[in-house]
Amino acid sequence: MADLALKGVRKAFGGLEVIKGVDLDIRDGEFVVFVGPSGCGKSTLLRMIAGLETVTGGEVSIGGKVMNGVPAPRRGISMVFQSYALYPHMSVRENMSFGLQIAGMDKAETTRRVEAAAEILQIGDYLDRAPRALSGGQRQRVAIGRAIVREPEVFLFDEPLSNLDAALRGQTRVEIARLHARLGTTMIYVTHDQTEAMTLADRIVVLRGGRVEQVGTPLELYRAPANDFVAGFIGGHTMNFLSPEQGRALLAGTGGAVPAGAKIIGVRPEHLRLAEPGAPGLTGRIDVVEEFGEFGLYHLTLDEAPEGHREITLKSDAEGLGGEGAQITLTCRPEAIHAFDDKGAALAAGSPAGAGRADRPSEETRHVR
Amino acid sequence: MRDPRSSWASPWLSGSIPVLVLAALPALLFVGVLLYFTLWAVVFSFTDLELFGRKATDWSFVGIENYERLFTRRGFLESLWTTLTFTFFSAIVGQSVLGFLLASTLRRYRGSMRGTIEVCLMLGWLLPDIVAAFLWSATTSKTGLVNQVILGPLGVEPVNFLNDYALQVVILANIWKGTAWSYLLYSAALDNVPGEVVEAAKVDGANGWQRTRRVILPIIKPHIGTNMLFITIWTFTYFPLIYAMTGGGPGSQTETLPIFLYQQSFSVGKLGYGSAISVAMLAIVGVMSIFYLRLLKEPK
Ligand SMILES: Nc1ncnc2c1ncn2[C@@H]1O[C@H](COP(=O)(O)OP(=O)(O)O)[C@@H](O)[C@H]1O
Ligand SMILES: [Mg+2]
Repeated sequence: MADLALKGVRKAFGGLEVIKGVDLDIRDGEFVVFVGPSGCGKSTLLRMIAGLETVTGGEVSIGGKVMNGVPAPRRGISMVFQSYALYPHMSVRENMSFGLQIAGMDKAETTRRVEAAAEILQIGDYLDRAPRALSGGQRQRVAIGRAIVREPEVFLFDEPLSNLDAALRGQTRVEIARLHARLGTTMIYVTHDQTEAMTLADRIVVLRGGRVEQVGTPLELYRAPANDFVAGFIGGHTMNFLSPEQGRALLAGTGGAVPAGAKIIGVRPEHLRLAEPGAPGLTGRIDVVEEFGEFGLYHLTLDEAPEGHREITLKSDAEGLGGEGAQITLTCRPEAIHAFDDKGAALAAGSPAGAGRADRPSEETRHVR
Repeated sequence: MRDPRSSWASPWLSGSIPVLVLAALPALLFVGVLLYFTLWAVVFSFTDLELFGRKATDWSFVGIENYERLFTRRGFLESLWTTLTFTFFSAIVGQSVLGFLLASTLRRYRGSMRGTIEVCLMLGWLLPDIVAAFLWSATTSKTGLVNQVILGPLGVEPVNFLNDYALQVVILANIWKGTAWSYLLYSAALDNVPGEVVEAAKVDGANGWQRTRRVILPIIKPHIGTNMLFITIWTFTYFPLIYAMTGGGPGSQTETLPIFLYQQSFSVGKLGYGSAISVAMLAIVGVMSIFYLRLLKEPK
């Protein structure tokens, strides 16, 4: 096990800089998730940590040692690839033993490790099968098994679940979380899926365009996003972005105020609710209702809305909100409002809290930009 | 929507029987012609048919006499050995290994160096055999480029390569001529090796040689089989370049089986014996093909 540090890490392909200076400290045993839209440089950053990509600038260190020039196998890392990357011509057992064999480990110890890993991942029954005879989920476990047997200091995962179907994805997510709890090894996990990030991470690193937008625990990012990008990216249902006037209308009956200097007001669908009859608020007409059973998503078109702020989504489990075509008035608690200035940076005053949960973000949340 | 009744046929030929028959005709014709020539060779390999003279018309069956001659007379076995040497060094070692090395090295590069090498390879492949033979003869002759530009300045006496190192020169020429094919085939094969698999091997600690031998080569094994099959057959039966360069000489040093066959059939005029040689070649190539086809099969 080891901690890991990135200092001003940069990467350019030819003239194009795709990682533009990343600083990050990862503690021993921590589960860190890199999340961001496709193409933001998550894989590149991970591959630089793995030693599969050279570092153009800055320093990558693992366990206190600078690793910039150290080849992949001597970094004490294991990597699980998006495509699983199993050796197609080798059996499951051979796939898992390959690295140990290359390292010259003796047969008995190799067998012991492979069988121990197979036990953890419940793949003991098909150790002698070829990868092509396995399902996607089974292949994924073999790939993880191959990573485990090396007993690495740091596990690297590059979108390991993106090729699985939804049900299996949820299940494997839990298994990876269990694995982390069991092994306690430092893990770095790349995904574009905010659900995976929220559910797995001790800390999330949000990347955009090769820069770190924010680092923090899932709750910190949810409650106090540093900017409109993080606010829009994190959260099960995308945050609504309103104009300041609409924000004022929303808070009209609550006594709350929109912070001075706010250019964009963010409010999560789950924090909106129906105003008391006759009370002021933001009015709109329900266009579409997505009924999920335990809650409904109500997509509204707002009355008197400026361009780009016409629509709003409300998540609610209340009954009798009205069906499609119904006219309703929305409000929300002042603490649930996120205010952003003209550059998109979060305004501290009046808005860092999540609805109903008053704890402040810890010192670890860093506001970049 | 496809007609379910004809789902057994290929979709663009589905439907009427006449269309199917019509489409099969060229194939049948082709197979028929091939069979006709093969049968012709097999039948005449048991006769004393000759190109000129009395036995050109008045031939008779002589049993397996021609086949006995393959082993008892000088010529065939020596020529077979020459052919095997030629095939082994120019195709299997030369073209295949060089093609693989070039393909695996050059794929890392983009741009002018790769382009230049590819154009050179293709030139060798596309140049007509006779022109290529002339170029090689001219280059390796006593007054040729190699002697003038390399050996001369080094103070070495001029060497007539085509006389003194005939087989080696011919092998080199064929490597130069045929590497493009192996290069192209291996390039395509390597493109099919998933990058992440190779990187997984890298993370697993395999060095370049181990990655090649234990991961890349096994993955492209079917392609290697295909390539070997093609180049072995081609080289084994390759005629024009050698014939134009050396005519099989000096002596019979470069007399591969196709040249031996040609000499026996059309210079000596023994068509029956020539037929027996061609049937023997067919058998040898067939055995080698079976060997390679087994390589091609996906491991279970
Ligand atoms: N080998 C490469 N050569 C050139 N550009 C690359 C290379 N690898 C990645 N990129 C570019 O770097 C950017 C980040 O890629 P990547 O790290 O794969 O993104 P992500 O994993 O976040 O989707 C992309 O714009 C991509 O096109
Ligand atoms: Mg990626």
